[in-house]
Amino acid sequence: MITLTHFLVVSACIFCIGLYTVLSKKNAIMILVGIELMINAAILNFVAFGKYDKVSYGGQIFALFAIVLAAAAVAVGLALVLNVYRHYKTINPDEINELKDK
Amino acid sequence: MLAFSPYISSFIDQIIVSIPYFKPELTLIITFIGTIIASLFVDKYWDKASFTITIAGLLLSGCYLLGQGLSHVEMVGFFDMIHIDTFATSARVIILLSTLLITIFIQQRYQHDRPLGDLYAVVLTATLGLNLLTMSSNWLMIFIAVETVSISSYIMVGYFSSNKVQSEAAMKYVLFGSICAAVMLYGLSLLYGFTGNLNFDAPSHIAGLMEAPRLMISIALLFLLTGIGFKLSFFPFHVWSPDVYQGAPTVITTYLATVPKIAVVVLLSKLLAAWLAVSFYFSDFLAYVIIIIAIATMLIGNLAALRQQDAKRMMAYSSIGHTGILLMAVLVYQNNESNVLLFYLSIYALMNIAVFIFIDSLEVSLGNTSIDSYKGLGKQSPLLFTSFSIVLIALIGLPPTAGFVGKLLIFSKVFEQYQNFQSFGLLALLIVGALTSVISLFYYFKIPLNAFLRDNVDHYSVKSNPLLLGIGLFCTIAVILLGLFPDILLSLF
Repeated sequence: MITLTHFLVVSACIFCIGLYTVLSKKNAIMILVGIELMINAAILNFVAFGKYDKVSYGGQIFALFAIVLAAAAVAVGLALVLNVYRHYKTINPDEINELKDK
Repeated sequence: MLAFSPYISSFIDQIIVSIPYFKPELTLIITFIGTIIASLFVDKYWDKASFTITIAGLLLSGCYLLGQGLSHVEMVGFFDMIHIDTFATSARVIILLSTLLITIFIQQRYQHDRPLGDLYAVVLTATLGLNLLTMSSNWLMIFIAVETVSISSYIMVGYFSSNKVQSEAAMKYVLFGSICAAVMLYGLSLLYGFTGNLNFDAPSHIAGLMEAPRLMISIALLFLLTGIGFKLSFFPFHVWSPDVYQGAPTVITTYLATVPKIAVVVLLSKLLAAWLAVSFYFSDFLAYVIIIIAIATMLIGNLAALRQQDAKRMMAYSSIGHTGILLMAVLVYQNNESNVLLFYLSIYALMNIAVFIFIDSLEVSLGNTSIDSYKGLGKQSPLLFTSFSIVLIALIGLPPTAGFVGKLLIFSKVFEQYQNFQSFGLLALLIVGALTSVISLFYYFKIPLNAFLRDNVDHYSVKSNPLLLGIGLFCTIAVILLGLFPDILLSLF
């Protein structure tokens, strides 16, 4: 029997993996992948909780909108990363540091 | 699905009834489509077509807003998704007017460079998202609005990408923003799990928060504040703003520094007014976190600004400092007493638009935004630098400008609350607020000091665009007038 707790544990694990990816990777695309993992963890939560909300299906609707918005944000993100590559010839955020406190 | 079929006709009826409340935003959506079509097909023959449509759409939307504002009715539409009250309507008027000024700014600045139709369209979507943010109390609507604003802002920052710095700013912005949005989404999913309801002012939502386990509710609220903190750029989510403000084109920085903050402050004050009305673990926790964040934001913003040599970067830290003061006002906001907050927001918008217009006209002539390059320019362009200095005085909060009145109103409101509750946190806020205003004196005065008291061997000639200088002067005069007669604006809200 798979209960709500199982879903929540899995989604917490996915969120942590995503956060770790975001903080540790040296590649902007991998950071975008990590962001996607974090968003999917939240979506899993929404769908799992939505089981108990049979009146308005808020969780399911939220999950659908979140998927669409995540895709839109990642599309813009990839375009901007490509732009950075044209100027810097690298997408390692550590090496892209012209803007900083002097 | 079959369970819904008997209700579909009544759902459609309610949607049709709600459409008139949504007229200002519908106008923006239609203008958005019109601008895209004009930029594709008409701009080739008449290069001002998309600009004209944008301005016309914004004005029309403003007319509908005034209609809503004058009727003074609270409206609820689209199944509780939007709540229109006078607070939201006044905030939307401020957002719309600032957007109008900034659109003219964009047009004047880049009129000969390249086609701008898409940029106007993106400005319109951002404004649409901000309007939704002020009106809604539903987490789904808020998340959609926040993402609409964020995605539009990413595109705005990266739109030109004509040099290394601009593309870097855009990438930092999109990565940081998406991470904050993802964390906020996770927090929202936890809130939904506790309450089973997505309306933050619904009684069942607040009841669910009261019963939630303490550790989990603390994590959920902190995650939620991550997303809001990114948009408001308060501590510790302010790190993106100096880089993005400095790297982005100055016109875009003007937009980012003023307009989104207005909407998010309105949202946050509605949220806190709904949640702090009850006194349970979650509301006390939230109040303390906001107090700590406000103190840290004021200190970090103002102390870090002292070391800056670049005018745009300095303004970024200054706007972080102002966020701290806005948080103070948000904390003591109560329903139906929105005039203090709206007054501060509108003069904040005026001051920032003026400062960035002046910085931009200097950037066009000098080629950079470093404060050192302003040396000796005060004698060459006295009008520009005199009004620049007046706006900086307003940003510090010295009389006789509106900045002083705004700060005075907020401080006296906080002091009133302190006398009622004797809370130590509010006293600390007042002390830090007064202290940081003194600190801010030192970095703002660097600009008039360089311009008027230091001499320069090189002689540049500062040529300003007359219309932009006119807008800057208008904002400056408004800041002085509202400082002398604050009632003009206060009586409107």
